[in-house]
Amino acid sequence: MEVQLGHYLALASIIFGIGAIGFLTRRNVLIQLMSIELMLNSVNLTLLAFNRWASSDHAGQMFAFFVIAVAAAEAAVGLAIVVGFFRLHHTVHTDQANTLKH
Amino acid sequence: MSPWLALSPLLVVGIGSLTVMMVDAFSNKKDDLSILSSAILIAAAAIAGSLWFGGLPPQTPEILAPYLAVDAMSQFFNITICGGAALCAMLAGGYLREHDLERGDFYSMLMLCAFGAMVLSSATDLVSVFIGLETMSLGVYCLVAFRRGSARAIEGAIKYFLLGSFAAAILLFGSALLYGATGHTDLLGIGQTIRNGNAELGLALVAMSMLVVGLAFKVSAVPFHMWTPDAYEGAITPATAFMSVVVKAAAFAVMLRVLITCFGDPLSAGAASGWPPIIAVVAVVTMIYGNIAAIYQSNIKRMLAYSSIAHAGYILIGVVAAFRVQNTAVSAVLYYLMAYTVSNVLAFGSLIVMGTRGKEAVTFDDLAGAGKRHPMAALPFIIGMLSLMGFPPTAGFFGKYYVFNAALQADSGMHWLVIIAVIASAIGAFYYLRVIVYLFMKDPETGAPQAVAMKSGYVVTALVLSAYFVLEMGITPSNYLKMALAAAAGLV
Repeated sequence: MEVQLGHYLALASIIFGIGAIGFLTRRNVLIQLMSIELMLNSVNLTLLAFNRWASSDHAGQMFAFFVIAVAAAEAAVGLAIVVGFFRLHHTVHTDQANTLKH
Repeated sequence: MSPWLALSPLLVVGIGSLTVMMVDAFSNKKDDLSILSSAILIAAAAIAGSLWFGGLPPQTPEILAPYLAVDAMSQFFNITICGGAALCAMLAGGYLREHDLERGDFYSMLMLCAFGAMVLSSATDLVSVFIGLETMSLGVYCLVAFRRGSARAIEGAIKYFLLGSFAAAILLFGSALLYGATGHTDLLGIGQTIRNGNAELGLALVAMSMLVVGLAFKVSAVPFHMWTPDAYEGAITPATAFMSVVVKAAAFAVMLRVLITCFGDPLSAGAASGWPPIIAVVAVVTMIYGNIAAIYQSNIKRMLAYSSIAHAGYILIGVVAAFRVQNTAVSAVLYYLMAYTVSNVLAFGSLIVMGTRGKEAVTFDDLAGAGKRHPMAALPFIIGMLSLMGFPPTAGFFGKYYVFNAALQADSGMHWLVIIAVIASAIGAFYYLRVIVYLFMKDPETGAPQAVAMKSGYVVTALVLSAYFVLEMGITPSNYLKMALAAAAGLV
């Protein structure tokens, strides 16, 4: 069986779905951060697959580089906020984030 | 025009923020960072203005062309964003010193966020949209978490960060699908491919809904608003003001660009198909929910957060109307955003001026009788509330008027949208007037903490400037509308 564009897209969608479900169901901030990374990486896979099969230029490759760079910055800021949270609550569970009431 | 000149507002803010960072690192005198950063931001706004009125090039310089637009609309947003950020920097100058939070990183972070917002509002490529969005958002997460020792600030930041990154991932997946559907990442190319019928239409529609979700999150439209009250309450007040004016303006700018440039074809922008009906429904839910939830708040910053959600609903009506009467509707949205910027700075600035260390005004009860004790501090509060309410002759009134007018002109199917909006703003009058009632007609309960007004030249300057513009935009709205119309004409 030859691997086609559709296979890559299916794989990327599955990874994106796993990331989204993980983000919505887990309450550990670190796992939620990992889920977001999964979602971003599935985007990279989609971009590269489209770039290989459905595009004439290398815009998709370039886009993926930017996504990787921004994901790193996002992880840095996110972990800094998590450290701040941990210092105050001694846990990384978002259930503890309930000071602000609706 | 050389690309350096075309980019000069961005370069001034970017290099300026690095300068502020260096001054903060190597100077012992930290008092003047507020003046320095607001001066740099005002200079950038002035440069954007002179670029615009001194004659923009007919075409964006080739090296920038696919990524950033240098058109009238981007200069309009450069002026609004830099002006709003400069006012917030002045508010911070008074607030941070009063509450003993004076750290220079606030100002450089604020300017970097403004830089991201400027990139976002002139982005014409999915890559630059993403980079601008993240540059702005990552900075704003830090601004929310600025008061590190406070559980509220960290909680607001963590909620905003998690939901914001989730929305950014959805937006990004939408961008990737749009790239796959059309083979382009520049908005103009995408729009042409869809119009010519060369795009995978199903894929493009899925991508469109994902982009709409990501952008609706940034403008805090219901049902993607959950972070707004928490982040607004947790952040220090100048940062809240910044979020409510700059972030919102930039997000609406990119929303207009993406929807009109990419999805302006008759199929994706029809009265019964594509984005207009989706956004109309979101607008209705946002207006009703925002106004009703605001009534039940006892904390003023949460009340203003729900008010900001409600205002996003009104602005979305203008966005919907853009599918028929593009120029009228886009100019109405631009006018509204400018009016909202000055009104909201006025409201948050008045809240700041009503508090000294340990005696900050947080709830309605804290404000009881404050108008009698400090009439001069209550005056801007009244003007701000009346403008947010949409009372003539203030900027807010004409903002609403132009948006509703555009909706009435657009399509007879949009009349019900305007009727709901008018009812929603009547509900909104309740909680805005409540502030004024507490200021002047309530007496504080015996033994209850009383807010004491602060004395700060920075905050007073920001209040005077924004009050001037609120009234000026209300008394001579046609000048500003002309500006907005000229800016809207640049959008294709």
